[in-house]
Amino acid sequence: MRILAFICILSLFSTAVRAQEADADALLRAAFDNWRAKSSDSEVTMTVHRPDWERSMSMKAWTQGDDFALVRFTAPAKDAGNATLKTDKGTWIYNPKLNQVIKLPASMLAQSWMGSDFSYNDLSKADDILTEYTHKLVKTEETGGDKIYTIEAIPKPDAPVVWGKLVVKVREDGVMLAETYYDQDMKVVREMTTEKVGEVGGRDYPLVMVMRPADEPEKWTRIETSSADFNIDLPSYLFTLSNLQNPRR
Amino acid sequence: MEKLELLLPLAWRSLWRNPRRTIITVLVVSVGLWSILVFAVLLEAWSASSRDTTQKMMTGEGQIHAAGYLDDPTIANRMAPLEGALADILKSDAVKAYAERVRVAAIMQSEYRTLPITLTGVAPAKERAVSVLPDKVSKGRYLENAEDDGIVIGRNLASRLKTRVGKRVVVLVQDTKGELAERAFKVVGVYAASQQIEDEFVFTGLDPAQKLIGAGSGISEIVFDSSDAEALPSLVDKLRAAAPALDVQSWETLKPLAYAVSTFFNEFIMMWLGVMFAMMAIGIVNTQLMAVFERTREFGLFQALGMRPRLVLMEVALESTMLIGIGVVIGAAFAVLSVMAFPGGLDLGFLGRGAELVGAGRVLYLSIDISDFVRYSFIIWALGVCASLWPAWRAAHVSPVMAMARA
Repeated sequence: MRILAFICILSLFSTAVRAQEADADALLRAAFDNWRAKSSDSEVTMTVHRPDWERSMSMKAWTQGDDFALVRFTAPAKDAGNATLKTDKGTWIYNPKLNQVIKLPASMLAQSWMGSDFSYNDLSKADDILTEYTHKLVKTEETGGDKIYTIEAIPKPDAPVVWGKLVVKVREDGVMLAETYYDQDMKVVREMTTEKVGEVGGRDYPLVMVMRPADEPEKWTRIETSSADFNIDLPSYLFTLSNLQNPRR
Repeated sequence: MEKLELLLPLAWRSLWRNPRRTIITVLVVSVGLWSILVFAVLLEAWSASSRDTTQKMMTGEGQIHAAGYLDDPTIANRMAPLEGALADILKSDAVKAYAERVRVAAIMQSEYRTLPITLTGVAPAKERAVSVLPDKVSKGRYLENAEDDGIVIGRNLASRLKTRVGKRVVVLVQDTKGELAERAFKVVGVYAASQQIEDEFVFTGLDPAQKLIGAGSGISEIVFDSSDAEALPSLVDKLRAAAPALDVQSWETLKPLAYAVSTFFNEFIMMWLGVMFAMMAIGIVNTQLMAVFERTREFGLFQALGMRPRLVLMEVALESTMLIGIGVVIGAAFAVLSVMAFPGGLDLGFLGRGAELVGAGRVLYLSIDISDFVRYSFIIWALGVCASLWPAWRAAHVSPVMAMARA
């Protein structure tokens, strides 16, 4: 355990060092490492707000590397048991009422995930920004002793992405502060901002993040992380279809 | 002949003894015939338009697919590139034009929306010969060659995706291994056609489409037009014989609705003709019976003076012939004028996109088919005269004594 903590600190330290060099690629990588690490196990509450209603859902989420993620809803009772699994092969959803695992067809990947302002693609292609874009550091500012970097990500020429550009704000230590999606006319389509940074799992982490579509001010989705562990050993059965349907954990 | 000389002026004059009644009958006949002729022209234009819309947009006069493609239009049901006997027939004089396509269901993504589409990979030079869509590009350009990796999308799809010429969209398809393939395409052109087509079909070069799907040189369909529409069935048979493993079909079975529309309209004209005639016949028989009834004394006198019943019958029949003849001429003349009032075709814009639902184009081009006009006019005339034989027969069988005895 001590060794693990040491590695953790070491990796944090190394990202901080790299951040000082202000290399845009490294900064983004650091942000992702901070966000998901090599593996993670977290408890999250998602609040979907609409002009005339609002609801909250709790979930447990596990990630492993860039390719594997499993999210299982725990509350409210209506949604409990619903789960989404993302592997390197595709995305599946499990619905306990149907007791069915469904592989998501391409047509559904861009649809809303559990009625929120996130799409399945946001889950499964989150790391597109690392692989399909070229990055440029456009601004460095200092607020309250922290250096904040603004990175502009432009899609590579033939990248299969629809955005015009993404603009990401990352704190020196790799905490993601904002991510803005622009269309190809460079108009803001939606924006994710971090509203609270706090310590969880031994690191500073964006505890409250809110996604807002630009054209609908009364709509937003808030993701609150209540607890998390990073760089832990996760059993290999976790990201399997059988575990999706019959949870062992 | 002599008798005709006697009867003609007689019939003509008796026609105008009661002008009001004559005019009413003439009106009935002319309005009836006018409606039949105008309907015939309209329906013919409609069915031609729906046939054209179907054939000249995507369907062509016939298509060849791998067996099973029509039931399950995926890339798994593809066929080898054109060769052998099939190629010989398609390149022969019996075929006006043909084009190969890759055509699969796909998903198109923009910043704002994700919509289902049909991705069509085409060889533009050949495509132009079988489809009018390449000439319907309203913004930007059409594809330049089979290697062109731009994408041409429909106007309505573009507005639903909130995209336009110059922007990038992402296309997702299932490839030959059953896995998801995706790539970005630049929108190079936007075409305008019927909404259904605009929403469904997007075009890119044959080559990039094959590469994306991993189809090698495989294709999904061959579209062809015959050089002689009459010979289409025999051409289809020949193609079937040349490629027994493939599924060769003409537009009549590919697009049964368009075929049904075009045949139904012909039936419908005959039905309308029947309905209109029944109504006209009632009017004609009624007025002529009235006329005969009023003139009972007169017919009695004719016969008392020695006119044969046969001549009386002829006289009344002549009256009807002239009466209906006038009506037919007026009706036909007005029908011609009505059609000529729309030299640029009838714009169905006021129907909005409703007209497209039944498969017609936006503008109906009305044209007069002389043989149809003559045929329908003659049918109405002949049937009208037949209907008036009953009053004429009544007139001829008036007993002179009884008739003269009437006040």
